[in-house]
Amino acid sequence: MTRVRSLLAARLTPFVLAGVLAIVGVYGLWQSHELRSTAAAENLAVVDASLTAEIQSFVTTGLNQVLTYDFADPDATTAAADQVLAGDARKEYDTLFVDLQEKAPGQQLTLTAAVQSVAVKEATEDSATVLVFLDQTSQRATDNQGSVSAAQLSVTVEKSGDTWSITQLKPL
Amino acid sequence: MRQQIQTAGEIAAVKTEEEDETSSLTSTEASTDASEADPAPDTSLPSGAGTGDAGSPDGKRPVLGLIALIAAAVIAVVGSWWWWQAAHDDQLAAAQDRDSALIAATDGVETINSLDYRDPDADLAAWEDVTTGQFQDGIAGITDSQRQLLVDEQKIATAEVVDAAVLSIDGDEATVVAAVEITVVDDAVPGREPTLKRNRFSAQMKLVEGEWKISDLKQVAVSLS
Repeated sequence: MTRVRSLLAARLTPFVLAGVLAIVGVYGLWQSHELRSTAAAENLAVVDASLTAEIQSFVTTGLNQVLTYDFADPDATTAAADQVLAGDARKEYDTLFVDLQEKAPGQQLTLTAAVQSVAVKEATEDSATVLVFLDQTSQRATDNQGSVSAAQLSVTVEKSGDTWSITQLKPL
Repeated sequence: MRQQIQTAGEIAAVKTEEEDETSSLTSTEASTDASEADPAPDTSLPSGAGTGDAGSPDGKRPVLGLIALIAAAVIAVVGSWWWWQAAHDDQLAAAQDRDSALIAATDGVETINSLDYRDPDADLAAWEDVTTGQFQDGIAGITDSQRQLLVDEQKIATAEVVDAAVLSIDGDEATVVAAVEITVVDDAVPGREPTLKRNRFSAQMKLVEGEWKISDLKQVAVSLS
């Protein structure tokens, strides 16, 4: 009886050991998956320096172009909008632009946008939401009146292929 | 609850009987069901399996054991390695830091822009809690006569961060920008509508003993250059 038992034990030992090792391994894999799939881990903002810089530079130049307007050269702004804007942002911009086109020539209006900071809040390889602080200076040549306004925008950008575009612009 | 389970059992039993009577094709299924429900031993089943295994050639077992052991060891090594890597990943740690800095900054900016004249001491104590360094010293240095001025102003300011994001992080320092909406109720003029102010702030955050504190807070003014 004892011989049978020790024989059985000797045969089973590798399997029991294998079972324990497999459990350790699977637990480790599960833990690493848990660590890497948290909301914090999946958000590449700031921690992926080159992606963050790429988004910041696109939004800075993009918004500076799109929100800068010269009554003498409105086509430059339209061309920029074609390049930079898409989706909801494009539609909203078009309605604003129609309004501007009506007033601007009469008042000889120029608008100059200066993005002060672009902070990336959430980012994946091909989409991001950012918080933008920008100043917009408006000048009326007719009466030499000018004003500066501070704006805060929540901006959504998306990448298709190699190019980013702004798909949402929300003033805060 | 128990009553329900019993009823369900009864229904199942009735079903089995019905199946037994109606169709000979399903009778095998019905009998398996019955053996599950009824603890009475079913002699035709697994007791033979063990003896069959024991009867297999002796040489195969150790080989099989060795293969299982090697495979399991590989899983264990890979699993532990991945776990160790994830736990020591700089980018993951930085992501955690970024999120905790943002939460602390949001909370801190709201705290510092809120003040109720009816109990300024409590609010100023809260300001001290969320700050560090010289900025904190400045708040701690607010004198009694300055506190009295706050009381006399009779204003209740409540700040809400509309949106905020981390601009940069460098070790134990971070810069967080926030769009803030401040509602001010002026009790000196009863009946007046609360005023709403929109501000943009840049907060310098510093990690002090595991907690992010505001070391400086500035409004982001329009640049006139």
